[in-house]
Amino acid sequence: MSGESMNDLLSYVVERAKTHGASSAEALFVSSDDLSVAVRKGEVEKVNRTRSRGVGLRVFRGKSQAVVSTSDLDRGSLDVLAREAVQLALETAPDPHNGLPGTFKRELPDMSSLGICEEPAPHLSQEDRIRMALEAESAAFAEDPRIRNSEGAEFQSAVTRRSLVNTEGFSGSYSRTIYGLSCSVIAQDGDSMERDYWYEQSHYLAGLPKPSEVGHHAGRRALSRLHPTRPLTKTCPVLFDPEVSRSLISHLVGALSGYSLYRNATYLKDREGTVVASPLVSIREEPLCPGGFGTRPFDGEGIVSSPKILVEKGILRTYLFDAYSGRKMGRETTGNAVRSLGDVPQVGVSNVLVDPGTKTKDELIRSIGSGLYVTELIGFGVNAVTGDYSRGAFGFWIENGEIVGPVSELTIAGTLDEIFQGIVEVGSDLRIRSSISSPSLLVESMRVGGT
Amino acid sequence: MGSSDGKDLSGKEVVRFFENRFGTHEGLLSEVMGPASGKSVDDADLYFEYTTAQTLSLEEGLVKKGGRHVSQGVGARILSGERTGYAMTEEIRPEALKEIVRTARAISAEQGGTGAISLSASHPPMHSLYPVSDEDLDVPVPVKKDLLLEADRVARETDSRVRQVMVSVYTEMKHIMVVRKDGLIAADRLPLIRVNVTVIAEENGQRQTGSFGYGGRIPFESVRGERLRHAAREAARQAIVNLSARPCPTGTMPVVLGPGWPGILLHEAIGHGLEGDFNRKGTSAFAGRIGERVASPLCTIVDDGTLADRRGSLNVDDEGTPTQRTVLIEKGILKGYLQDRLNARLMGVAPTGNGRRESYAHVPMPRMTNTIMLSGESDPDEIVRSIRKGLYAVNFGGGQVDITSGKFVFSTSEAYWVEDGRIQYPVRGATLIGNGPDVLTHVTMVGSDLSLDPGVGTCGKDGQSVPVGVGLPTIRIEELTVGGTA
Repeated sequence: MSGESMNDLLSYVVERAKTHGASSAEALFVSSDDLSVAVRKGEVEKVNRTRSRGVGLRVFRGKSQAVVSTSDLDRGSLDVLAREAVQLALETAPDPHNGLPGTFKRELPDMSSLGICEEPAPHLSQEDRIRMALEAESAAFAEDPRIRNSEGAEFQSAVTRRSLVNTEGFSGSYSRTIYGLSCSVIAQDGDSMERDYWYEQSHYLAGLPKPSEVGHHAGRRALSRLHPTRPLTKTCPVLFDPEVSRSLISHLVGALSGYSLYRNATYLKDREGTVVASPLVSIREEPLCPGGFGTRPFDGEGIVSSPKILVEKGILRTYLFDAYSGRKMGRETTGNAVRSLGDVPQVGVSNVLVDPGTKTKDELIRSIGSGLYVTELIGFGVNAVTGDYSRGAFGFWIENGEIVGPVSELTIAGTLDEIFQGIVEVGSDLRIRSSISSPSLLVESMRVGGT
Repeated sequence: MGSSDGKDLSGKEVVRFFENRFGTHEGLLSEVMGPASGKSVDDADLYFEYTTAQTLSLEEGLVKKGGRHVSQGVGARILSGERTGYAMTEEIRPEALKEIVRTARAISAEQGGTGAISLSASHPPMHSLYPVSDEDLDVPVPVKKDLLLEADRVARETDSRVRQVMVSVYTEMKHIMVVRKDGLIAADRLPLIRVNVTVIAEENGQRQTGSFGYGGRIPFESVRGERLRHAAREAARQAIVNLSARPCPTGTMPVVLGPGWPGILLHEAIGHGLEGDFNRKGTSAFAGRIGERVASPLCTIVDDGTLADRRGSLNVDDEGTPTQRTVLIEKGILKGYLQDRLNARLMGVAPTGNGRRESYAHVPMPRMTNTIMLSGESDPDEIVRSIRKGLYAVNFGGGQVDITSGKFVFSTSEAYWVEDGRIQYPVRGATLIGNGPDVLTHVTMVGSDLSLDPGVGTCGKDGQSVPVGVGLPTIRIEELTVGGTA
């Protein structure tokens, strides 16, 4: 379906909602066309073609709200759904802060400047896709004879389209292409068996590195983890690799949501304008960053958002709002609405970047007398209400500025407040690999649980 | 929305439901499956799904948000050797069905069949684990509103330090139909309900949260009344307890797990590692270890998809195999894996009814249903009293596992420090980490108090979420690493 006909369909849906008694309405269309090819041990294992689309409708009747969604795009069915949405809105309680965002700056940016959609899509045969996945996996196996097994390599391409129409006159749509290559292999030596992986993604096919580089990296990472030991329980410096430091940033950003704020559900309540991180830490949001994995021309409510500083030299500069949570807190939307088909908007971010420092990772490692370099985290032990942080970790032990070997089956713990204020170095190794990107972060002291 | 007759709940009725709604009569299905009839095709299926869901939620004492959702589609899968081809559509009409079968078929190098397959007129005998009609599940909105408002009131009455109460109710009715290359047609309708209460309590500028969720494949009536009030009080109690929590000690120590939801230990430490796909590929820390001791003789662990009303239960799995009770570990010895049809075929064993998928947009994989450790003989109070210095953990958040190394974690949401057999004080949330293949060898006491979780588990694997259950008696583990801050 073209952007135009999607918006026609959405206009039909919001018109039907008004006919059934809605005072205002907003409709969203999301579609995706996804093709993935997975190989394992040199053979094709899985080919998956997923074409999916759906419509979500949010209606207001006075100050009451309801949301409906469907994957049945028959116009008759959509009409029934619009009527049900209005009926449901009659049953929910009015809330003075409900409503569409109002008329803000609506000039949509030039889509081609965003660098998120490759048009026309380059021709890519099934053989090309298989070849790239095979090359990645065989490079991993070629890395070392101890790479003995594989969970496979996968090449994926997807096109997603998103359209939003509301009764305040907003109508917009955009497409995103994405290419991804991943590889996951297993290193085995004696009793020790360790898995690791690597992936690369790009909005443009040519933006992907050579497949063999992905495999090479996956193989190296798995090998480096063989024969881990367990560290002693102690308090020591912890260096977060960029692959894990971005999860720290996501916890901080999550605690800035306007919803958490009015629910008293964030450890960062009443902290705007105060110190929330070390003065070395500055964090920006760049909604229109060309080629960014979180880049979008407008947010989940049709707001064109501007770049902003979230944390400036450790000082919290702003919370994040959509229209509703903004009104609740007496603020304007910051253009941070994120909308999925089946739910009302939530607060989320586009691209978030931590300003890099000057030291390389090797220099950071050399600066540590005795401590932990974390490369992978597992588990869900993060509490945004209290800031309590406790997770399972994998990584390497450092003594006298040198890596002495891999460690596993350990925990790291602290509070988000102590962790962010305890950052003593920010690395120079910033690379944009996902919507949240951070260089290495060195935390002065955390509690490490081991033997 | 869902309009099937609530009285006749057999698979046959669901087949008719799809036929009436989408015209999927047997003639069309056998024609659509034609390209799957070739010799090079080892297995093939179509998976039809029609799901309706309703949500209603409350915060700040107001029922602010309501939703209704419809999701429909078909997935076609064709398997040849170790290869899987998959395609799906949300337009359930003949041309679209034929196209997805052709697309899925294209992965096999040889030419496809051109005929039709013959479908069995009779349907397999099925369990009837959750006979709930649409009307019994999706009650009128005002009835649900009363439920939310009551939970809000009870939670606030429990303690004056309760500042925020969030309550939600989710109901879902999923209709599925599996049409297989071997001619089988299996169909089911799966009700699901979940109520969640989350409380934020505040004292002297300190905030803490508590939550309690429950549900299952049960009628709405079963989530009302005392169960609801219990959930509201529990959520509030947990938040209040945590207000006085102190930093948790760190390091390797004895840990006693309370009954019920702490069974997430089994799910992470054992269950995932015993899924057929990882073991066929030799990527699990448990691969090739059938018959070996992987737990103390006190431990017997089963995966049971046949428990009535449970969130993790299924009459048939998503490949049409009836669910069963599978013994995973018997008195400490590893007995079996969890299988879907693909991995069972390649390993030369029978499927165990564990082939599950999130939806028509996803390929089935071996997944758990309800994973349970059977009761032992110890008195639960005695188990707690046996701790000289250690942790007693009664509630948990989520967990995760690295299948290959066997390292797993799960995080406490309510736990206590114990010295000389007596509870000293509650501790702040901490992650516990251990090694799957040997954590249960350190189990030295198993209580007589097996209980099942309240019905909230959701398991994620390869980006697919499915509802699951766990069950555990009180157990004592001699050593587990606790990730505290003290």
